[in-house]
Amino acid sequence: MNVLLVEDDLVLADGLSRMLKSHGLSVNTVNNGTDADALLQRYTATVLVLDIGLPGLDGFEVVRRLRARGSNMPVLLLTARDTIPDRVHGLELGADDYLVKPFATPELVARIKALIRRSSPQPTQLTIGGLSLDTSSKRATIDGKKVDFSVREWTVLEYLMQQASRVVSKQQIIDAVLPWGEDVTLNAVEVYVSRIRTKTAGSGVAIRTIRGFGYMLEKSDA
Amino acid sequence: MRRSPASNTTHKVVRHSIKFNLLKWLIAPLLAVNLIGAGLTYWLAWLPAQDAFDQSITDAAWALTSQIKRVRGKTSLELTKQAEQMLRSDHFDTMYFVVRDANGETLAGDHNFPPVNQIDEPNEPVTYDGVMNGEQVRIAALYVSIERTPIYIGIAETFRKRNQTHYVILISLLLLDGVLTAFSIVIVLVAVNKGLHPLRELQQNLDQRNRDNLTPIDVEQTTEELTPVVKAINSLLENIRKGATAQQNFLANVAHQIRTPLTGLRLQLEWLQQRHANEPETAHSTELMTSSVERMVRQSNQLLALARAEPSRFKPTHLEELSLDKLVEESVQHFIEQADKKQIDLGFDLQPARVRGDRFMLRDLIDNLVDNAIRYSPPQSTVTVSCREQEDATLLSIEDSGPGIAPEHRELIFDRFYRVNDKISGSGLGLAIVRDIAKDHGGEITLTSGEEDCGTIFTVRFPHGAKEDV
Repeated sequence: MNVLLVEDDLVLADGLSRMLKSHGLSVNTVNNGTDADALLQRYTATVLVLDIGLPGLDGFEVVRRLRARGSNMPVLLLTARDTIPDRVHGLELGADDYLVKPFATPELVARIKALIRRSSPQPTQLTIGGLSLDTSSKRATIDGKKVDFSVREWTVLEYLMQQASRVVSKQQIIDAVLPWGEDVTLNAVEVYVSRIRTKTAGSGVAIRTIRGFGYMLEKSDA
Repeated sequence: MRRSPASNTTHKVVRHSIKFNLLKWLIAPLLAVNLIGAGLTYWLAWLPAQDAFDQSITDAAWALTSQIKRVRGKTSLELTKQAEQMLRSDHFDTMYFVVRDANGETLAGDHNFPPVNQIDEPNEPVTYDGVMNGEQVRIAALYVSIERTPIYIGIAETFRKRNQTHYVILISLLLLDGVLTAFSIVIVLVAVNKGLHPLRELQQNLDQRNRDNLTPIDVEQTTEELTPVVKAINSLLENIRKGATAQQNFLANVAHQIRTPLTGLRLQLEWLQQRHANEPETAHSTELMTSSVERMVRQSNQLLALARAEPSRFKPTHLEELSLDKLVEESVQHFIEQADKKQIDLGFDLQPARVRGDRFMLRDLIDNLVDNAIRYSPPQSTVTVSCREQEDATLLSIEDSGPGIAPEHRELIFDRFYRVNDKISGSGLGLAIVRDIAKDHGGEITLTSGEEDCGTIFTVRFPHGAKEDV
C-alpha cells in the first residue's frame, strides 16, 4: 500500500507523509511535476496524491500524461483553488477524486483508503476495537469469541466497519446493501443497526445515531 | 445627489439650488420689467388724458373770448343764460369762469375766481392748479387783446372727473399687471421645472440604485448638457466596480495563497499532538496552536467565501440544478466533528429539496449557518438542520436551542464584522456571507425565535420563481 505524494510545499509534504505513514501507508514524496512524471513512467503506486499547483509540469499535466500512458492508477488531486472549472478540469483529465486545502486529515485518509479499496482487492480482515470481521469467511469475532450475524446484519455491519469514523446516511446504507435486490426501508435499517448494537455490546465498538440522518461507527472507550 | 446628513447637523452649509437660482434670476427681473412697464403705461395713459382735460377747458376759454365785445370803450361779455348754463353744466365737475381787465376788475363771471393776470404772452393759454371755494381746481387762463384792451379770461374745473379717470386707469393697470405677473410666474415655474426634469431623473436613477448596482447610466437617455456629468458619473462607477473587483480578486488570491502553508502547519501540529499526547505541557501547547490554526483556516475560508459571495462578482452562469439535502449531506461529517467538540446534539431533517444555484456558494451558506449555530450554542444543547420544499419555495432552516438573539441585534447581525458576543471567537463575517449568498440566489433570510421563545431559527427561503431570474 504505497502512496506517491507529489507536493511542492515541503512543510505540507513532510506533514502529509508522516500522517499517512502513521495510518499504515508507505509514502514516497516528490516535490515537482517533472520529477513526478519521470518517476511515474517506471513506478506504480497504489494511489497518487497530486498537488495541482506544482513547479515544472502542473498536476493537470501529470494526470494527463499518466492517463495517456494508459495507467489506471487512482489519482487524488489536492488544490488550493476550489472553483468549478478547476474541479471539472481535473476530473475530466482522469483524476478520481478531488480535495481542497485545507483539508482535515481523517478526510484525506478516508479518501485515500476508499481509492485503495476501489482499485485493489478488499482486505479480508476488518478490525476495530475488539471486533473483527473476516470478509472472506464471513466470520465475526469479539475478543476472539465467535458472534453470529444474519446476512443483512452482516452487510450493514461490514459497510459501517469500512466507513468507520465516518457519518453514513441511512440511504447510503440502503444503497450499499441494494445487491439484495429487495426493498429495504429506512425503518428496516434502524432495526438491523439496533440488533447489531446488541450483539456488539462491550466489543469496544459503538454505533452512534446521527439524529435524522444516519449512523457513525467508531471505536468506543468502553 | 443624496443629501449628506452631516451637512444638516453640524454646520449650516449654504446650498446652491439651481432651481432657486433660476427662479430668482427669472422672476425678479420679470417683476422689475413689469413694474417699469406698468409705470410707463400709467404715464402714457394718464398724461394724454390730462392734456385732453386741459384742452377741453382751454377750448371753453377760447369759446368765451368770442363772446366778449367792446362797445364804446366798455368791455362786456354777451353770454345768454343758456350759454352760461351750458358752460357751467357738467355731469361730475363744477365749472367756474371769470373775465377780468388789466386792473383785475371782474367784468363777468365768478368774483372769487383766483387771480389770472400773471400771464405775459397774449393768446397763449396756460393751465395750472388752484383753489376755488376751498376745492382743488384746474385753471385755464388766457390773455387776449380785444381792440387793444387786454382782457384776462379764466376757466376753472374741479378735479372730480380727472380723479375718477385717474382712479380707473390706476386700477385697470394694477389688475392687468397683477394678472400678467401671475401668468409670468406660473410660466417660469413650469418652464424651470420642465427644464430641470432631466436632472431630477438622473437623481432618481442614482437614488433607486442599491449598493451593488454599478452598471453605467444610459448616456443616450440624457440631455446634451447632462451628458458630460453622466459620463463622469459612469467613469466613477466603472472605477468603483474595477476597485471592487480588484479587491475581491486580491482577497481570493490571498485566501488561496495561504491555504497550502496552513494545511502544512496543521498537519505538522496534528503529528506533534499524536506523538506528545502523553506530555501534558506539550499537549496543551499544541492544542492552543491547533485552535489558532483552525481559526486561521476558518478566517481564510471566510475571506474567500466573502469574495465569492460579493454580488458584483456573482456569475449566474455557474448555476446548476442542485439538491439542497445532498449539499447538506456532503458536509455532515465536518459538522458532526465540530458539534462533537462541544457535545452538541446535531440532528437533521432533510427532505428532498431542489434549488438552482452555485454549488460552492450554497455550501458556504450552509457551512456558515451551521457553524454559527454550533459556535453560539452552549455545550450539550441541540442544533437541527432541516430542508424541505414548499409549493413556491425551497426552505433551509437551522434551529438552535441557544440563548436566542435579542430583537435589537436581529437587523445588525447580518452586517459585516457585527458580533453579538465578543467572548466567542468569530470573524463577524459569517452571516454577512450568508446574506450575500442568499441574495445572489434571489432568496432571503429570516430570523425567528424557537419554540417557547427559546433558541433561534434561521430560515433561508429560495423562491422557485426567482431561480429563473438570477
